[in-house]
Amino acid sequence: MIKFEHVGLRYGVGPEVLSDVNFSLEPGSFHFLNGPSGAGKTSLMSLMYLGRKSTRGRVTMFGQSINDMPQEGLAKLRQKIGVVFQEFRLLPHLSAFDNVALPLRIIGTPEREIMSNVNELLEWVGLGDYKQSLPLTLSGGQQQRIAVARAVIARPKLLLADEPTGNLDDEMGFRLMNLFEQLNTMGTTIVIATHSQAIMEKFGHPRMMLGHGHLNIEDPKKNWLQRTMDGVF
Amino acid sequence: MALLAFQHDKKLGVADNSARYDLPLHNSAGSGFLLLLVALMSFLAMMTMTGAFAMHGVTSMWSSGLENQATIEIPARMSDGELRDKNELSALRDKLNGFLADQSYIESYEVMSREAVADLVSPWLGDDVNTAELPLPVLISVKLEDSSADILYRIRQNIRKYADDIRLDTHESWLSDILRLAGSLQFSAVIVTLIIGATTVIAIAGAVRSRMAEFRGDIELLHLMGASSTYISSQFQRHSVILSFKGSIIGIITGALALGLFSILSPSGAESLVPALHLGLFEWIILLLIPVAACLIAHITAKITVLRTLSELPL
Ligand SMILES: Nc1ncnc2c1ncn2[C@@H]1O[C@H](COP(=O)(O)OP(=O)(O)O)[C@@H](O)[C@H]1O
Ligand SMILES: [Mg+2]
Repeated sequence: MIKFEHVGLRYGVGPEVLSDVNFSLEPGSFHFLNGPSGAGKTSLMSLMYLGRKSTRGRVTMFGQSINDMPQEGLAKLRQKIGVVFQEFRLLPHLSAFDNVALPLRIIGTPEREIMSNVNELLEWVGLGDYKQSLPLTLSGGQQQRIAVARAVIARPKLLLADEPTGNLDDEMGFRLMNLFEQLNTMGTTIVIATHSQAIMEKFGHPRMMLGHGHLNIEDPKKNWLQRTMDGVF
Repeated sequence: MALLAFQHDKKLGVADNSARYDLPLHNSAGSGFLLLLVALMSFLAMMTMTGAFAMHGVTSMWSSGLENQATIEIPARMSDGELRDKNELSALRDKLNGFLADQSYIESYEVMSREAVADLVSPWLGDDVNTAELPLPVLISVKLEDSSADILYRIRQNIRKYADDIRLDTHESWLSDILRLAGSLQFSAVIVTLIIGATTVIAIAGAVRSRMAEFRGDIELLHLMGASSTYISSQFQRHSVILSFKGSIIGIITGALALGLFSILSPSGAESLVPALHLGLFEWIILLLIPVAACLIAHITAKITVLRTLSELPL
């Protein structure tokens, strides 16, 4: 699904934010992305949602190398990726409904279908009464739920969420996590950047630990012996 | 639920998916400016083209009226300054009359009466001059089957036999000057129309670019969600085309009013050398195509501008 080989990223002439990142995620997997603030989680996400080119190394998505892919090919891949941005990035002049409907409109879903799917999802995330509200009139938590709804509405093959529960109380946070779990059981590959120890422990998925430009994957489900063996071989 | 759906449709203005915007282009500043500019450009294009049509009408009227037409003149005063004798004048007239009647390449001819010639000169002399005593030339207007140089040469050779100051005037020299002037005016009209088109292209491209800068973040987001360049550019295209359509309709309605006013104020009737500003069906169709041209320019310009700007995105 995703394969990074010796990937490095720097902004302009600054230092490398990511240096020699190597990992590969299987289809249908679920990972947390963890690391201190400024470690480069958002930067790594941007490489995965094809918002940026790596400055070195090879990125393979859905089995295709994206390094030299033409625009139309990239657009098609992006349609299979749902993203919850850390700062939401909702369109301020569109209602909650239209924001959530956007990915479906981009892929040309019939309006009747959009109507029922979007309404259902907005009800589910507790925003049934705010369908016509503009994002800026809503609270941070409500905006975050719109952002999550928008990311999942088109049933993406890959869901990338950058601290999607940061502005939510625990109950709504767990509720959204359950939504992600549900998507995952239907086959969506999921990567969630989070700081929340509570969430990582409750759901127990493998953790991609980012620090000093490098990435290590730790799986709490594997026991100490298995992890030691992984380290040896 | 049904109520909400209704509100939703109403808010978008149109329920159809293809008629909605993801970017608030319709209420962004600068739309009014572009509308006004397209209106002005359409108005100017209409005036310029009408001018060109009128010029074309003038030249075709003059050239068709005068083509194959010639005038033979037996001057009243001979080359040595002596007045020609009245009897000699009528003798020459009768000889020419006989000669012309025999020529197959002459379609028709008419010896102008003394009164008709006097009428021709009277505007220069004033009404109070007694034309009966005036030495007047004999004029014969001739319509030729064709006015090739060969035939004109033959006529000149023949009429000179009767008297060497008898002249054949074909109107060609002054007509060709006027036709050349009219031609260069029409050429200028074409250039001006092209400049108007180019100005419109530049203005629309500039407007689209500034609109894209204004919504850069939103466009990047659509791009990241996998919207194709075509999806994004179609929004700008629709916006520019609608604006240009409105603008050019305003422009040509104003233009039609101006032309109406102009034709009421301008002199009309047979005496005028310039035909009344009368546009035929063909001309009106061309003028009504101005909005179509404006929309086409808007569509293509917006599309190229957006695609170029999008291709500058990092990935
Ligand atoms: N657009 C950018 N331009 C320049 N530097 C950036 C940009 N985005 C992030 N950085 C830098 O990259 C580093 C990693 O940032 P980020 O990926 O946001 O980390 P995290 O999401 O883990 O907090 C930081 O030092 C940040 O200043
Ligand atoms: Mg971040």
